[in-house]
Amino acid sequence: MKTELTISTAAINEAALAKRREMGKGMGAVIYFSGVVREIEGNAPITAIDYEAHEEMARHQFALIFDAVEKSWPVESVRLVHRLGVVPVNEPSLWVEVTAPHRAEAFDACQFLIDEMKQKVPIWKKPLPA
Amino acid sequence: MKFWSYFADLTGCKEAEIELSDYTTLGQVHTIVLEQFPKLAGAKNSTLKAVGLEYEDDDFVLSDGDEVSFFPPVQGG
Repeated sequence: MKTELTISTAAINEAALAKRREMGKGMGAVIYFSGVVREIEGNAPITAIDYEAHEEMARHQFALIFDAVEKSWPVESVRLVHRLGVVPVNEPSLWVEVTAPHRAEAFDACQFLIDEMKQKVPIWKKPLPA
Repeated sequence: MKFWSYFADLTGCKEAEIELSDYTTLGQVHTIVLEQFPKLAGAKNSTLKAVGLEYEDDDFVLSDGDEVSFFPPVQGG
């Protein structure tokens, strides 16, 4: 399984990521998910979220999750981008793409990957009030 | 050891060093940390603990040079 992990303060360029997509001949499904900063956090309006990571551990934990995906589903590739630093409202903080032969395994793997990330990858957020 | 996210605000530092005797466990270090930084006590049960890049349980026995991290539940995405 091919993997590509980007953890960066740079804005996520979804169009550029989509343009670089590569799919093998047997692949019939591509799922991508974009997590966007909401205007409301809890019940309060915000302007942005400031993301912090224990980056070395985050990369290691993502690698373990990618290994678990590879063992569970016939996924061809995973690309994941997580932005750090200040991410303004309406901009993506997370972008995940999974390619697989069929939609069922692509959806399942993508869901698993994000669920695991939210349990294990040391990234934290601090909402910045409006 | 290192403190991450708002744990660094509660302790007033991102890093601290403590001298340990042989065969000290991660749980024992957590107890020492709570004595030294009582503002972390409210988050005792939700605190996540890692040694190096791996999560470890309270009975994990520490070795010389291990880097221990304490942090609140993660919130990626």
